[in-house]
Amino acid sequence: MKYTFTISVFIFCAVLSRCGSQKKTQYDIASHVTAENKAIFIERAEKGKALYKIYCAGCHGIFTKGKDSIPNFTDIQIDNYHATALIGLDPKNHAVAKKMSSDQIDYVITFLRLRKVKKIKE
Amino acid sequence: MKIFSVIAIIFLTAFCFSFSLQQKKEYNNLYSSSLGEFNNQLTLLSNTIKGADLSHERGRDKIREQIKNSRLKMKGLDFWFRYFEPNVYRRINGPLPVEWENEVFEKFEPPYKREGAGLTLAEQYLDEEIINRDSLASLIASSVAALETFKADSITKNLDSYHHFFLANRLFILNLATLYTSGFECPDTANIIPELQSMLKDVKEIYITFDETFPSTALSKEYLSLYDKTIDFVSKQPLQFSSFDHFGFIKDYVNPLFGINQQFIRSYSVVTKNYNDFTLNNDCNSIFDKSLYSPQNSKGIYSLIEDEKLLTEIKQMGKLLFYDPILSANNLRSCASCHKPTEYFTDTTQATAFQFDHREHLPRNTPSLINVTFNHLIMLDGKHISLQDQAKDVMHNEQEMNNDQKELIKKVVSCKEYKDAFKKFLKYTPEEKEVSLSHIVSAITYYYADFSNYSAPFDGAMNNKKAIPAEAVKGFNLFMSKAQCATCHFAPIFNGVKPPYIGSEFEVLGVPEDTGYKKLSADKGRYNVNPAKETLNAFRTGTIRNSAFTKPYMHNGVFQTLEQVIDLYDVGGGAGKKLTVNNQTLSSDSLRLNKTEKSELIAFIHSLNENIIFENPPPELPKSSDKKLNARKPGGEY
Ligand code: HEC
Repeated sequence: MKYTFTISVFIFCAVLSRCGSQKKTQYDIASHVTAENKAIFIERAEKGKALYKIYCAGCHGIFTKGKDSIPNFTDIQIDNYHATALIGLDPKNHAVAKKMSSDQIDYVITFLRLRKVKKIKE
Repeated sequence: MKIFSVIAIIFLTAFCFSFSLQQKKEYNNLYSSSLGEFNNQLTLLSNTIKGADLSHERGRDKIREQIKNSRLKMKGLDFWFRYFEPNVYRRINGPLPVEWENEVFEKFEPPYKREGAGLTLAEQYLDEEIINRDSLASLIASSVAALETFKADSITKNLDSYHHFFLANRLFILNLATLYTSGFECPDTANIIPELQSMLKDVKEIYITFDETFPSTALSKEYLSLYDKTIDFVSKQPLQFSSFDHFGFIKDYVNPLFGINQQFIRSYSVVTKNYNDFTLNNDCNSIFDKSLYSPQNSKGIYSLIEDEKLLTEIKQMGKLLFYDPILSANNLRSCASCHKPTEYFTDTTQATAFQFDHREHLPRNTPSLINVTFNHLIMLDGKHISLQDQAKDVMHNEQEMNNDQKELIKKVVSCKEYKDAFKKFLKYTPEEKEVSLSHIVSAITYYYADFSNYSAPFDGAMNNKKAIPAEAVKGFNLFMSKAQCATCHFAPIFNGVKPPYIGSEFEVLGVPEDTGYKKLSADKGRYNVNPAKETLNAFRTGTIRNSAFTKPYMHNGVFQTLEQVIDLYDVGGGAGKKLTVNNQTLSSDSLRLNKTEKSELIAFIHSLNENIIFENPPPELPKSSDKKLNARKPGGEY
């Protein structure tokens, strides 16, 4: 019993401390990627995050203290968005994408793709 | 009794419903029946090939005749096919066996290999000395297989609503102005105008059926009456494409039809789901308006800024930087060193510019920066996908500006005027925390892109019916026909970007090293970027606009005059001059242009001289805190 309690407290603290430092987004990058490329990816993703906060968060969830409420878009959704954003298929919600430079779109997409998401239970 | 009436009501509703469905189907039916007829023609063709005696002209002529019949049916479907699935259509009407493509929205992907097949290639194959029956048959079998794609639900479901119609019609009209009358996909030039006549009539039927099926979004009387006049005009023209009045056809018919169709696209709130519409601008009313398709993004990192005042400031910084040799390692070369803003942003004095060492020369001629924004791939080999990438590359290229990125930024922000400006711009580019190379290059590209927005007398003739010399009109008609220029240089920019304006084309001309055609130029061109049999010595097709002022010509600056350039085409390129060019995309036959014709072509080229207003260089450059840097001269020294 005592044992379980200690573990619970430990986990609780760990979670709490993680939440506190959540400002830094965690990224999920495949293990075969070299450290050098990883740094480039993260740099691009961070740029995407800055853009996301301004141009997407208004509709798609914002960074609140400790926790982000960005939807966990699936890969297919992100691909869809990428393709349609470039072609400008959704002039109502996503008009801004047509104005972005190709680098900027790439940053946002990299951010969404690499952002670590908690797996939702089926 | 009650049951009876219920049943009657059900039947009645079902009947009405089916009737309305049936009405909706007219348009759909036209598509399927045209497709069926074409399919039958292809079957006949396959059988003809199976039974024909290939060793005799008589047997070959039988096949030619059947190809001709099939082509007419194909042309009736071109309206839909080319819009729905251009890459599959290539297997029915491919101009070349292999093409490499890199479309704008696929910028980050390697080039695609597109294989062609079908009627055009079969017809060309029949002229070979020895013909393999299986090879010939497989070109047609490929087309039959491709037809299956066009029967698929994913494609035919487009026919259930009106949206695709106006977009496909737009592409059709653009091709009337660029491809259909130039022989682009029609090897037998005698058939070009007859095919055009037949196609115009078939499209009329598409129009009528569409209007019946979609009465609330029908074509207007104005449009249809102009279209009838178009048919009438063409039917009265000579059947030879070299005597056809291409100029009048586009000016008085095609371009006005385009304007009305654009109005439909706007007023019927047409929505696209097709990548063919990616760059086309719905708000543009003329094919000869620079807003027709979206150019390269010149704003780069400043893309999301809309404040005009701020944009003007960015442009001013861009101008200063364009003239500022601070961008090179030795502070002696600026962009303006080679792209002289008073000489159409090129250097007309040298075949190729100096290298950084000021001794050797670079391998390629300095291109003009005017209208570069309308290329989808940058550099003659298409090495870059954006203007900003190109600018970054030249700054650190050892042979050009030879700079280190960090050093360069440090030097630039050592000047107070630059530092203050970029610190201000930084606030509007949230993705960057410090002044970056992107801030510098984007200001430069934003500055010079402005010079691509001017128009030429030829545009005035097309748009406002302003007169241009009769010689120039004749020159344009030659350009579109006998001289074959228009098979590679497409309106409105007359570069290698053809409708729907989503990719740049490369060609192999066999350009010599010297004016005596002793040797082929050793430059591998596109091959350096995308090594393949077809891309060796291939270069991106440039614009003809302002070319009267942008000598010397070709990738290596080998020619000094337009006459020499026209002669290159007239003799059939390098291959026509007996150089070994195995993959030349230009026919090696002579064009047989006479002196008058050549001077008419040049008169047309002069009608594409744009009314550009050039600016004076800045009188001085921003002062740096590093005294050594303050000896810089605007524009640099070599
Ligand atoms: C004006 C509100 C708004 C803004 C701003 C906005 N979106 Fe959306 N987005 C929506 C709506 C509504 C949907 C769902 C409807 C849809 O799929 O079109 C959506 C859907 C998506 C999807 C899922 C697409 C799919 O096919 O399922 C992605 C990914 C996405 N948005 C990304 C972004 C990004 C990245 C930005 C910022 C550059 C952004 N959105 C800005 C409103 C917005």
